Amino acid sequence: MMDPLKTYRYDKVLLFSVLALTVMGVIMVYSSTALMSLSQGKRLITAQGDYQFFFLKRHIMTLAISVTAMLIFYRLTPRHMKAIAIPLLVIAVLMLLAVFIPGVGLKINGARRWLKLWPSTFQPSEFAKFAMVFFLAKYLAETEDAREKFKTFIIPIAVMGVIQLILLRQPDFGSAFTLGVITVSVLFIAGTPVRYLLLFVVAAVPVLVALLMEPYRLKRLLIFIDPWKDPYGSGFQLVQSFIALGSGGLKGVGLGAGRQKLSFLPEINTDFIFSLIGEELGLIGVSLVLLFFALFFVRGIRIAGRARSPFSFYLSMGLVLMITLQALINVAVVTGLVPTKGLPLPFISYGGSALLVSYMSVGILLRLSKAEPEQYSLATTQDLIKRRARLKARMIKRRAI
Amino acid sequence: MNKRALLVATIVFVMFFVVFLRLIDLMLLDHEKLSRIARIQQTKGQEILVRRGTIYDRNGRELAINLERPSLYCDPKIITSPQKVAYSLGRVLKKRHRLILKNLKADRRFVWLARKVKPEVAEAVQRLKIEGLGFLPDTKRFYPKGTLAAHVLGFVDIDNRGLEGVEHTYEKYLVADGGRVYLTRDARGNILYRGGDYESVGDSIVLTIDEGLQAIVEEELDRALKKWQAEAITAIMMDPYTGEILALANRPTFDPNRPGRFRPSYRRNRAITDLYEPGSTFKIVMAAAALEERVAGLNSRFDCSEGVIEVGGKKIRDSHKHGVLTLKEIIQKSSNVGAVKVALKLGPERFFRYVELFGFGRKTGIDLTGESPGIVKPPREWSGTTQGAMAIGYEVMVTPLQILRAYAAVANGGYLVRPHIVSAVLSPEGLIIKKVNSTDKEKILSSRTVKLLKEAFKAVVSEDGTAAQATVPGNTVAGKTGTTRLIDPKTGRYSYKDFVSSFVGMVPADNPAFVMIVVIWKPKHKYYGGEVAAPVFSDIARKALAYRYIPREDILKKNILVVSRGIKNNISAVEVE
Repeated sequence: MMDPLKTYRYDKVLLFSVLALTVMGVIMVYSSTALMSLSQGKRLITAQGDYQFFFLKRHIMTLAISVTAMLIFYRLTPRHMKAIAIPLLVIAVLMLLAVFIPGVGLKINGARRWLKLWPSTFQPSEFAKFAMVFFLAKYLAETEDAREKFKTFIIPIAVMGVIQLILLRQPDFGSAFTLGVITVSVLFIAGTPVRYLLLFVVAAVPVLVALLMEPYRLKRLLIFIDPWKDPYGSGFQLVQSFIALGSGGLKGVGLGAGRQKLSFLPEINTDFIFSLIGEELGLIGVSLVLLFFALFFVRGIRIAGRARSPFSFYLSMGLVLMITLQALINVAVVTGLVPTKGLPLPFISYGGSALLVSYMSVGILLRLSKAEPEQYSLATTQDLIKRRARLKARMIKRRAI
Repeated sequence: MNKRALLVATIVFVMFFVVFLRLIDLMLLDHEKLSRIARIQQTKGQEILVRRGTIYDRNGRELAINLERPSLYCDPKIITSPQKVAYSLGRVLKKRHRLILKNLKADRRFVWLARKVKPEVAEAVQRLKIEGLGFLPDTKRFYPKGTLAAHVLGFVDIDNRGLEGVEHTYEKYLVADGGRVYLTRDARGNILYRGGDYESVGDSIVLTIDEGLQAIVEEELDRALKKWQAEAITAIMMDPYTGEILALANRPTFDPNRPGRFRPSYRRNRAITDLYEPGSTFKIVMAAAALEERVAGLNSRFDCSEGVIEVGGKKIRDSHKHGVLTLKEIIQKSSNVGAVKVALKLGPERFFRYVELFGFGRKTGIDLTGESPGIVKPPREWSGTTQGAMAIGYEVMVTPLQILRAYAAVANGGYLVRPHIVSAVLSPEGLIIKKVNSTDKEKILSSRTVKLLKEAFKAVVSEDGTAAQATVPGNTVAGKTGTTRLIDPKTGRYSYKDFVSSFVGMVPADNPAFVMIVVIWKPKHKYYGGEVAAPVFSDIARKALAYRYIPREDILKKNILVVSRGIKNNISAVEVE
């Protein structure tokens, strides 16, 4: 718990870890897309001129938008945050539904996950997770005394279920799954009785089984167990990811020197960018990425631990878990620890919506890490005098400089 | 922070740890295996154009070069009207349009239409401006001197791979990088193009052959072939001190520019592949052994007056009765009876040791294709007749080069040299990559023996010797004739009309500039080596000595200052008293 009477600056370490990951992301997005291969005859020509920077330019553009969004969210007070929780959820659900409207929604590879949004596209599922965390924080903070009641458990579960249903219609199993993990984690942290959660898990099993009956999901699951069984078919992605990581070794083949980006690794600039980092920068590079995510996580739960209100606590905990779990699941997917899901690596992957939502979350976290002396409690005169003296001293110091 | 949050945080940390362990497993433990798979899938071997190195003679004259002959290919998918294209191409390429049409309609993306076309034809095709046609640079091996040194050079196939001769034995230098590069490819099999054409230039070869000497030898062989209407002739000229082959020629021969038009027997390098019974030239073994082992001196006498001797139930005769002969005379007059008597005195083991010492039955190690080791029976396989037969060069099979090498040992003071045809390998930039070692030789005879042998061989080329016709004006020649009957394949017996005539010798005798052997298979009209092969030797030697500015010994003796160009073409003033 933060001392209510102290001033806290925003968490610089957290911001540093985010920026470090972002810089790595910019470099790796460039590395993965600069050499776009255009087949021409029997030979391959290197993309010339502007094409080389096409993805990089777009990535930096989204980054600019994302940083702006971060600064906006940094301006919000906890009270504002509480106020926008419900509207955010409504907007999220509406956007999720809008995906199904022809002309507005965009269908890629048989999945309707994107909204046409000039000049780019937007993936509402990313936003839905963000909104869900807001809703959870607000609802759980308001029902702090009724945690034992089944009703306070079933309402967030129902909201989650509705969103998951829509996500499954798209279909976007990955997002639905992550949403479930985040929701259950936050509910657990909030003190929801374990029996309820167990009940939920037991209830979820038949649903999962039913979903797995979908042939392509089952195939994915099976191939995850032994991708080498079909290295040129359904195991291709995973095998190529292994080859990328494995050929990197300790030091990597060198920045930009990776060969797996020559159409071997699919989704190289988004879902599988971690494998490219492994290939080009080696174990050292990927360990650095993991280290920064761990740092982000540690600083994130520190912010949560110091939160002054249950709402701030749930919100920061939810957002930190959202980003960290997403990163962990992504790495687990490319290393073959869990079945394949289309999830980007936060802060690093090319892909607007995820980057935007991550930066919005960082804005919130930075805001929650910062605190003026509690404005709503009465400070003692002595405290005010102390504070004034401190401010004066600082101003004098600044002038001197 | 409540307990549950701490539990969740712990789980997350455990997940970090698990993921990290998995990364170590993949990236460090499986590194070797996965790197190998990566290398295999990311690279693609591609045949590339190799410009074979040039082959030069010892003085830097080009014997084998490359001509630019681009190859025409087409992409049938792009050809819109195959009929029209076939007609116009047929006119330019002078090919039947039906053949072209078949290729133009092929269900592939790449078809050769014409390999190695002349530049002017290529230009004419380009003027037609047909979409879907293209040229790839290609080269054709060209031997500007035609048949000259054909058996030494060898030849290449359509893909410029060396099949025979130096082209084959030095393939790995001539094509240097092997004509294959490993290029980065993408998942679709496309090659990552790094700009420019991939080409490699092979190393060049410098031969020990002297083009001038080779031309002299070949000219004389052509003359002799006509004169004696022989089945085949071989001549080898070698520097006795280094083992460098100065000239090597066979008749019949072929044109390496179009090897396919000649019979395989014409392409055979008889000088090193063909075995024959050497006859009297093999008496060098008997003589050397006798002198070295001090069984006899040059003046030791042997009674050959009967003109016949019986060994193992077989009679060996002289051409005519000689009377009592010294060892020197046995060689000079090539007495078979005398030679057998000396050999019998030596005994099988001692005799055979010298057969081996001269390198018979083993390959000489020359850097050309198809060398034969010859056939030499060891004493335990000998029949009753063998020792007598072997003394006079029967029941033993040798190559012309093996005989030449044995006489080189007499010329150079007793050393068995390793004959070789290549003196150096040059990189495309002209740096010497490899220099062939000429000092690889073994002392087999004492100087005394060599001196005595030379005396005897000098006597051969004299009015009283068998090879009076081998003399060269102004220079003394030392050498030995050989005449053997061939086995008639029909009867399985020695023929009375098919002979092998040979002469091997050195000139000038006291300080030989070269040793040379001439072997003539099945000459017509005459057959004695002294009558058939010796004149050829003489004609070649006369011209070769003049070509190399070797001063005549008789002029030297007249106390004249002469400028001599020696073996290595270095000019030096020689003053003689």
